[in-house]
Amino acid sequence: MLAAKAAALWALPGATIAVQGALSLVAVLLLVLAARALRLGGDVRIRDEDHARALADEAICGFTPVDIVIDRARIGALVRDAAGRVLLIRRHGSHFVARLLTTHAGVRLDQHFLTLSTGERRFGTVTLDLGPQAQAWAASLRWLGVQA
Amino acid sequence: MTNLQPFDVVVYAIPAFILLIMLEMVWAARRAPEKYDPADTRTSLLLGLGSTISGALAAGAIAAAALWLYDHRVATVPVVWWAWIAAFLLDDFNYYWFHRSAHRVRWFWASHVNHHSSQHYNLSTALRQTWTGPLALSFAFRIWPAFVGFQPAMLLTVGGINLVYQFWIHTEAVGRLPRWFEAVFNTPSHHRVHHATNPRYLDRNYAGVLIVWDRLFGTFQPERDEDPVRYGVIRQLGNFALLHNVFHEWVAMLADVWKAPWGHKLAYLIREPGWSHDGTRESSDTIRARWREAHTPDAQPD
Repeated sequence: MLAAKAAALWALPGATIAVQGALSLVAVLLLVLAARALRLGGDVRIRDEDHARALADEAICGFTPVDIVIDRARIGALVRDAAGRVLLIRRHGSHFVARLLTTHAGVRLDQHFLTLSTGERRFGTVTLDLGPQAQAWAASLRWLGVQA
Repeated sequence: MTNLQPFDVVVYAIPAFILLIMLEMVWAARRAPEKYDPADTRTSLLLGLGSTISGALAAGAIAAAALWLYDHRVATVPVVWWAWIAAFLLDDFNYYWFHRSAHRVRWFWASHVNHHSSQHYNLSTALRQTWTGPLALSFAFRIWPAFVGFQPAMLLTVGGINLVYQFWIHTEAVGRLPRWFEAVFNTPSHHRVHHATNPRYLDRNYAGVLIVWDRLFGTFQPERDEDPVRYGVIRQLGNFALLHNVFHEWVAMLADVWKAPWGHKLAYLIREPGWSHDGTRESSDTIRARWREAHTPDAQPD
């Protein structure tokens, strides 16, 4: 009895849900296509070291970098604070995201390119072009996780 | 007395939602293309689509719960003009407490986090809604007035109006509105603060329609020009994968419960997001406290 009253009050028939869902999906596709056609999203880059500092502080409140290296295309950076914590910053859409590196396990050096993996599958693997600084950073990252 | 039918205002508002998103996109293309990102917009809109489907599938159960409460009501509120106003105000009050709980209790946050996981703040973010709200039973905050005697149809109708109102405030295209309006109503400025990750702004401005609830219960924070809002969650997700966006916090919460010592398992469900039994994580309270400590000499009164 209650179920029948509830169905009469608010529940939608399955067909109605399906039609509404299909129409909504079409609207979603159109809006996403419109966003692409309008070239929304921009092309964000890390402007300079001050920008990298700001991004680090946004990711971890109070994180104060003492060493900074920015990818040559300025799409990512590594920053280290006085406590030795290393933060990997990378571009995500038209914003940036960051993760603390806790182990050297996912670090690989190939000439000027440093590839970093956080161990977080969804965050992905990041390759930074650090130029001549790549080797020094790779060497310093070997100590990550060792003290612990 | 249960013959009143709800008016589903949300369904009728959808064409306006689409049109306004288009207009805001055109505005962004001219003024600030980075305000939108196609991948982020896709995820937000698909979250919205899934939310309407999960809501429709759960509607019968929610209606049944409301009707059961109404069948056991302690009084009967007549369907007259003042009852509609009372129902709207009561529902907005309930929304405030639902929303505050959604940020302060991890069980509810696990579903509500979907609405906050975009680093963008635009009208598509408004449609970035949870798929798992019915699972979290958060509708309990909104249907209890049926027990007092409000007709369930009335509650469902005013709840829809509340939801539609909140759409237009998810924008950076509107600055500040006249002072009298900002004093009473939730506005784009107030709600930008709510979506912020800046320590000053964390867990503030929970209002639905009337900002007076935040002013009354001590959670109001005005937007400040010298502290531009950054959006998202404290630990930004860093991917646009739809299912990860939907379920990541449920997975993380249940993993914490699984791994926690027996004495702390329940706390991982009912304490605030960021709480941990060994104190190794940070909640909005600890972040704000650390930020305040670091900025005390420069601090200005809120």
